[in-house]
Amino acid sequence: MILYDFEYERPGSLKEATALLNETGGDAQLLAGGTDLMPNMRVEVVTPSLLVSVSGIEPAAPEKCADGSIRIDSLTKLSDLVDAELIQNELPMLAESAHTVASNQVRVMGTLGGNLCQETRCLYYNQKHDYQFVEPCYKRGGDCCYPFPGNDRDVCWAVYMSDIAPVLIALDAKLEILGPDGTREIAMADLYTGDGMNPFTLGTAEIIQAIFVPPVPERFGWGYHKTTVRGGLDFGTAIIVIVLQLAEDGETCCWAKIVYSAVGQGPLRPTTTELSMEDAVLDPALIAVAASQEISPLPHHGFNKGFLRENIRVYTERTLVSAIECAQGKI
Amino acid sequence: MNQINDRTTVNGKKSRSRVLEMSINGEAHEITVKPRVMLLEAIREKIGLTGTKDGCESGTCGACTVLVDGQPTLSCITLAVECEDKNIRTVEDLADGENLNYLQEAFLDQGGTQCGFCTPGMLMSATALLEKNPKPTRDDINKALEGNLCRCTGYNSIVDSILQVSDQGVKPRLL
Repeated sequence: MILYDFEYERPGSLKEATALLNETGGDAQLLAGGTDLMPNMRVEVVTPSLLVSVSGIEPAAPEKCADGSIRIDSLTKLSDLVDAELIQNELPMLAESAHTVASNQVRVMGTLGGNLCQETRCLYYNQKHDYQFVEPCYKRGGDCCYPFPGNDRDVCWAVYMSDIAPVLIALDAKLEILGPDGTREIAMADLYTGDGMNPFTLGTAEIIQAIFVPPVPERFGWGYHKTTVRGGLDFGTAIIVIVLQLAEDGETCCWAKIVYSAVGQGPLRPTTTELSMEDAVLDPALIAVAASQEISPLPHHGFNKGFLRENIRVYTERTLVSAIECAQGKI
Repeated sequence: MNQINDRTTVNGKKSRSRVLEMSINGEAHEITVKPRVMLLEAIREKIGLTGTKDGCESGTCGACTVLVDGQPTLSCITLAVECEDKNIRTVEDLADGENLNYLQEAFLDQGGTQCGFCTPGMLMSATALLEKNPKPTRDDINKALEGNLCRCTGYNSIVDSILQVSDQGVKPRLL
């Protein structure tokens, strides 16, 4: 049981849902799968007075649009995303990333939009205040970040841990966002502020309605790696996504994108390293060193910065090798 | 930060209770709950079916797994009001009176239960798996059961039980 009372509404469409969220202001929350929100409400990290459930709305199946891009309803359950034939054939990287999310039950319950909008996490923040042996942490309304006393005074070091967001950023996905004044479209990367206190650029009454993934070019290669402690049922220690396109000679890289998740308050990209990969024959070892030095991973869940940097170096190299082999058609 | 001054009211008013209809193990039930009541508490305390267990209360351990419309669902992080008009199956649905079903017999044959606390969740996850895939491989079973933790660490015999019941060459252990 959740320890405080709240109201509950189940509208029949997303339009009604935004209207309800708009009426209540910032004190209402959208409830989709609830796999992130419910544990947070149990420990009273978030305490909305109204939950607007979207469980009464049936999501549309993923479909191909006229311009070749794939439209995915944000309410699609993760298990349906993994099983969808269109996604498996056209966007295997997206299916694999959805397949690594938590457990079977969580994938059955959780939605794609909910996965993208999950709260940032921290061992200290995600527990009942009774267990926070000193003051509440900064994100919970305290003066400063107690788990990381060396941190700046007004900065929260909670980490954004979505497994799917880095894949959609790498694939240049667009989000269709429904608000009280109609829809707008933003690039996937613009969803994140990079601030642990307020990780999303969404307004209080805005809902992600659909995700559009453009078609991939020829000689396209991808690599995905999620480091976990136990293999299954785990948030990632570090999540690495690499996509690239090779030139016709099968060696030179036209462009590449590297996206990291679970090592910062939002997804991170080593942009200088990515620039150095344009029109070059790639040396995975050198690129892995450059990328791991360029980004600054946040310590989280007991992993220190040095460990994360080394982890990122090792797995960036391996993921890049598999991305190149994928583009060459070897795997 | 949202300070909770009065923990049982919303804007000074008590929140409305709802009357829900749901089918639990094929039987229609009508329950009256507040929105804050979880499906797990509704099943255990309102209906009185205590086979479903309350473990971590945060959607991690899987002991509370029930089937909602055939899909394995964590009842400890599902609101009861979300399950209005849904078809719910709990571990009590498996046995026919005193007669255990084949899956439960296989758990007995293999020693798939130790302390037994995770068993209801394991059985429901396994039931959902076998309904979707009657001949799962060892990898399929590991993936399907990854959300069910067994603190007695008896995973091998649980996987063997499912291989036995799906008739894949695993024989009952001689006791």
